[in-house]
Amino acid sequence: MADLKELVSAVVEMREDEAMALTKKLLADGTPPLAVFDAYQAALEEIGKRFEQQLYFIPELIMSGEMMKAASEIIKPLLADQSGGQGKQRLGKVVIATVEGDIHDIGKNIVAMMMDLGGLEVRDLGVDVPADRIIAEAKDFGADIIGLSGLLTLAFDPMKQVVEKLQAEGLRDKIKVIIGGGQMDEQVCKYVGADAFVTDAVAGVNYCKGWLA
Amino acid sequence: MTDGWDKMTPAQRQDAFLAQWASGEGVPFVDEKAKAGYQARAKLMCDAFQLVKSPQRVPIVPLTTFAPTMLAGYGGKQAMYDPHAVGKAFLDFALKYDADAAGAAPMIMYGPTLEALGYQLYKWPGHGVPEHLSYQFVEKEYMKADEYDHLITDPTDFWLRSWIPKTHAALAALADMAPIYGTMELPMSSSWLISLGTPPAQEALKALMEASRLCFEWINALGPYLGQIMGHGYPFYAGGATKAPFDVLSDSFRGTTPLMMDLYRRPQKVLEAVERLVRPMITTGVSGAVANNNPMVFIPLHKGADGFMSDEQFQKYYWPTLKAVMYGLAEHGCVPCCFVEGGYNQRLEYLAETSDIRCLYLFDRTDMAKARQILGGKVCIGGGFSVSLLLTGTPEQVREETKKLLDVAAGDGGYMLSIGCALDEAKDATMKAFVDAGMEFGKY
Repeated sequence: MADLKELVSAVVEMREDEAMALTKKLLADGTPPLAVFDAYQAALEEIGKRFEQQLYFIPELIMSGEMMKAASEIIKPLLADQSGGQGKQRLGKVVIATVEGDIHDIGKNIVAMMMDLGGLEVRDLGVDVPADRIIAEAKDFGADIIGLSGLLTLAFDPMKQVVEKLQAEGLRDKIKVIIGGGQMDEQVCKYVGADAFVTDAVAGVNYCKGWLA
Repeated sequence: MTDGWDKMTPAQRQDAFLAQWASGEGVPFVDEKAKAGYQARAKLMCDAFQLVKSPQRVPIVPLTTFAPTMLAGYGGKQAMYDPHAVGKAFLDFALKYDADAAGAAPMIMYGPTLEALGYQLYKWPGHGVPEHLSYQFVEKEYMKADEYDHLITDPTDFWLRSWIPKTHAALAALADMAPIYGTMELPMSSSWLISLGTPPAQEALKALMEASRLCFEWINALGPYLGQIMGHGYPFYAGGATKAPFDVLSDSFRGTTPLMMDLYRRPQKVLEAVERLVRPMITTGVSGAVANNNPMVFIPLHKGADGFMSDEQFQKYYWPTLKAVMYGLAEHGCVPCCFVEGGYNQRLEYLAETSDIRCLYLFDRTDMAKARQILGGKVCIGGGFSVSLLLTGTPEQVREETKKLLDVAAGDGGYMLSIGCALDEAKDATMKAFVDAGMEFGKY
């Protein structure tokens, strides 16, 4: 008989087909959908830990996100039937965007996925997003954090603009700003006026969780 | 090429090609001083490749894409639509900043050619990004998982009948072209020709004719400026370009996300595909180097960086085929110049394995002290200067950091001073401070 431990292990060890088969079997056997969902969350937590320990890298983050997505499609309708939703309290709200002029989205998408899986409520605005829209969406969403992504050096100034506009709106003290991308460093962080910079997804999620704790 | 070529080791062939390039033979120099300047600059680079101990000075080699045109006040669109603007800007940049090697101006492609092709792989100024910016890559899944066998069996056929039709809208009809193999006997040759005779295929061929005509016009306008840059004594830092097989698969074909999942879903196919791409990538690099009479082959490295994959995955999927491409280039006398984007702190030991050929690892975010420690005296290293400081710092900060970098990385030779990024932007005062500091503190 399949158990939840086996499921956690299958997800953590990237055994995609086995994880899906176990998920279906567990549900068919009458395991509560929330318990199955929690097993995935536990697995993702372990995967995050392994990422921090540099045992896991991007392939594992992407694979686990993909497994979670596939499982959610099956589990979520059942959860809705039972309890009207996941019933879990989200930690906080993040608006995330690639800044104006930059159209790269791979890094941002991975971060957004990790944040969502990590219990944050994420509004992803996409790429090439002007500062005004980022501010407006953050206000509308009630964001605690704004995450700005950019791969190119041309992203430096648009990021700076967002922080300046946030200040002009009197919101700088209420909303944290984190920047991410390959060329981000302490120098850029200071120039932009952000609260933190990151070059990997898990570090970004951890910063945000730390701020919201 | 050279007497006794067949009997030479790869390093000897590389030295012969470097010597030929450094001689400046065939370059239309404006005067003797320019010729001497070219030879002196090229020698600094040769000395670095050859790990000469205590050479005269560190060569200063800032990589540039749009920086020269942006400094000249041209927006990205003008740079991509006016070859005279690009040529003039790159010439002015070489003369003004007086670094030791000039950037490859043809890296700024020609907008009208891309328009004629309906090019989908990038967005460029006026076509998806604002006119004042630079071009940007659009990553998608241009090769589906079930196409691995096509690529593995026949890369050229895959490129021509699958990948190009997906990435060049005007050439989409080439997907319906019959394979070329049918042309070997008279009774069989009609199917290929008929497929190219259909109205959509004819339109595609017309678009290809137009795009190539435009591209030829463009290089003929740009070429004389490139001649002038060399004629004034500035060699180019690259003769050709190629890519690591895994990056071809990741950047251009499958896309990062699908390929990273392929490492788990179809690992054997990934391995077969990267191995199959080794020969084409060698040919690509060699053909550019030979055409430009410049042995240096630029190889931008992407997905092998720290953080993308584990050491085990790097060892299995990335490094063997990159190394094979590098050695294949060296066999032809070419010098692989890897532009190591991101950080490579966990991979440095691998790079030391190529110590029996001439090659360069130009770093972006790698710890340069560690790079020096592990690679010094084995292979030429370069780069390590942060682009963020160049764009947001003061000239004094740049001067100070350049000195610090040289102290850490230059050792007793085998180092080239460069910024860890191909510059899309630059600022005059910090650019000047960077080169001046290199000249001042880069002496041995």
